[in-house]
Amino acid sequence: MSSASIDPPAAPAPQRLDARTLARTKREALRRRTRRIRRSVLGIAAVAFVTAFLVIYVQLASGHDPALSKRGTATSKTATTATDRRKQASAAKSSSSGTESSSASAAVTTSQS
Amino acid sequence: MSTDAAVMTADAGVVSAKSPAVRASAGGEVSASWPCFGSTSSAHVSGPSGERSAQEAVQLVGSSLARWHEQFSRFEPRSELSRLNGDPREEVQVSPLMARLAQAVSDAGAMTGGLVDATLIDEIERAGYSGDLARPLPLADALALAPARSPAAAARARRWPALDVDVERALVRRPPGVKLDSGGLAKGLFADVLAQTLAGHGAVAVNCAGDVAIAGTRKVAREVNVESPFDGSTLHTFHVRRGGAATSGIGRRSWLDVQGSPAHHLLDPATGRPAFTGIVQATALAPSALLAEIRAKAAVLSGPRAAAAWLADGGVIVLDDGSHHVVAPPAAVTLEDLAAYAAGARAARRHAPAR
Repeated sequence: MSSASIDPPAAPAPQRLDARTLARTKREALRRRTRRIRRSVLGIAAVAFVTAFLVIYVQLASGHDPALSKRGTATSKTATTATDRRKQASAAKSSSSGTESSSASAAVTTSQS
Repeated sequence: MSTDAAVMTADAGVVSAKSPAVRASAGGEVSASWPCFGSTSSAHVSGPSGERSAQEAVQLVGSSLARWHEQFSRFEPRSELSRLNGDPREEVQVSPLMARLAQAVSDAGAMTGGLVDATLIDEIERAGYSGDLARPLPLADALALAPARSPAAAARARRWPALDVDVERALVRRPPGVKLDSGGLAKGLFADVLAQTLAGHGAVAVNCAGDVAIAGTRKVAREVNVESPFDGSTLHTFHVRRGGAATSGIGRRSWLDVQGSPAHHLLDPATGRPAFTGIVQATALAPSALLAEIRAKAAVLSGPRAAAAWLADGGVIVLDDGSHHVVAPPAAVTLEDLAAYAAGARAARRHAPAR
């Protein structure tokens, strides 16, 4: 019986092994990059949200709610009669600039012509 | 001030004998008013500029308005506007201000998609508005007789895109037959031109038949009252430091046409007939009086659902039933506001009790 030697399975070619390693390395690098970007986006979003929340919170807590200021009133509907209008004339005022009018400046009236 | 009154009367030509002419307030503001453009115009100026005194500024407004009243009237056959409208040439040399009006007509059409169309002269004359209205129809009667309300729309065959204006050379090109209506656009333009001319004075307000332009170096906040079309009461008061305000509506110029139907001067470009949209008046604030005039007209014509969208800088809408909506100006935070806020916060911290 001849002693035929059984050769061990041929080891993968060094080049093939390098390609797999390279691919795995690239995949891991890709995952790391994805995780980094994801963490950055979440972090920035959280910081932006908290900052905006704090700004609005401080603004409201300090008693400077813009919705309550004289300058900006929401669009409103007023059902009026002719007599009501005269009573409302002095009360219904809003400002586009937030400054008091000068008593030295005459009021002007805009009307249909 | 009687001397000034005499000067004004002689210069302006449109001031009646009963006109209050020039008057000065206790605060030093000089004011005058004149009947023109079928209504009343006024000017309020305080403080001198480098070129003229406040009184001279007011007189300049009066004389300018009188000149423009003659120049831009479509009821005067010899006015520049009538001559332009009747000119058979395609290209016409006009005055610089007429060129600006033509440009404004073109801009108004472009900005509103044809809703504000100041080329509907033939249509408005067919509706019966071919001269000064002797006795206008009361608004309540016009509304009672008016057809069903519906928003206006742009005309299918638009004329305004054919306008080609060279403002620098004062040339107007258009197909002969395309006519311009001075209407409200001219009033807004005049108010802007005058306010710009007088901007070197401390505080300036020019009210050109309801179209108001406000300017001045002191940036004083001035009260602008919005008048009710029903009874003349004040519906709302805005405070404006710079810019324009204008009111447009169907309350003042209504009449019965030959068929006995109510008519007015705000036409639906799509039909060529007076528009009854459910809005009787709109007031707009804007950076200029001309822009405010365009917005106010567009608001009236677009009807109650879409009107507020035209009032980006604030305004008032009055509906058929007499109710009104106030569209508040956007809240503006200036550097002065921020500085005042910071100073207040610092003071509050200083005076806060120690913990």
